[in-house]
Amino acid sequence: MSRLAPLELDQIEDPELRDLTAQCVELGVPDELFPRIIARVPAQAKTLLGVMLELHTKGTVDHQLKEIIRIQLARFVEDPYFSALRSKRAIAEGLTEERIDAGCDDYEDSELFTEAERMALRFSDQLFLDPDKVDAIFYEQMREHWTEAQIMEIGTFLAIYHAAHLFMKTLDARPLAAA
Amino acid sequence: MRYVEKISTDADSFDDDDWDDLRAHLSEDEIAELGMFLVGNLGFHTFFGSLKFFPMFAPDGRLVSQEESMAIYGDKPESLQGEAAE
Repeated sequence: MSRLAPLELDQIEDPELRDLTAQCVELGVPDELFPRIIARVPAQAKTLLGVMLELHTKGTVDHQLKEIIRIQLARFVEDPYFSALRSKRAIAEGLTEERIDAGCDDYEDSELFTEAERMALRFSDQLFLDPDKVDAIFYEQMREHWTEAQIMEIGTFLAIYHAAHLFMKTLDARPLAAA
Repeated sequence: MRYVEKISTDADSFDDDDWDDLRAHLSEDEIAELGMFLVGNLGFHTFFGSLKFFPMFAPDGRLVSQEESMAIYGDKPESLQGEAAE
């Protein structure tokens, strides 16, 4: 399941942490495994889960676009855990595997995205692969489609989830549903 | 430190030997704590590096301009300099 064993649910005594874990399960990203692993350090786990849920489900950037970006990042580092997870909310809103695959591969030529969405996908594609390309000119192009607040929202989302994918990759974790 | 370096630069090669090495020195609780610390920091170094902003204060405590700060601290974080060299 994971190199780092998750706690059993009944070992999580903090009610706030149990509630955050339930919110993760309801969304589907992350599933129950990630909260149960980090629940070993409850205070920090609550902060991290709160931030992850906030970044993924709140703000003014479309949730479906963030879900595509998240999967693009997870596939980029070949993390089997986060790559396999899907936001139940995004799926309910109509997100398809076809659009996810297009967002991860040929988004530049795909008609499934607006130019603003392509710009956001370019941002996630290049920030960790080739950060030198994310320069002043790049941010000028971003500002043609997104407000500065939205750029911070996307950038912060990228920063947190990219590192979470790397962490879970080193744990060799898999989603609970597929275990 | 080896874990942090590997997860930052070559997570693909992290294997059971690396895990055993980590477990020999840190408890599972400590590894979870270290992992969360990484999640809260690793990606931000790259993101903030791309935004080109620099510490507001010099090492001696003076409030400095962004231009002077860049001259003092360099225009790229050490971690990204390594990435660029690759």
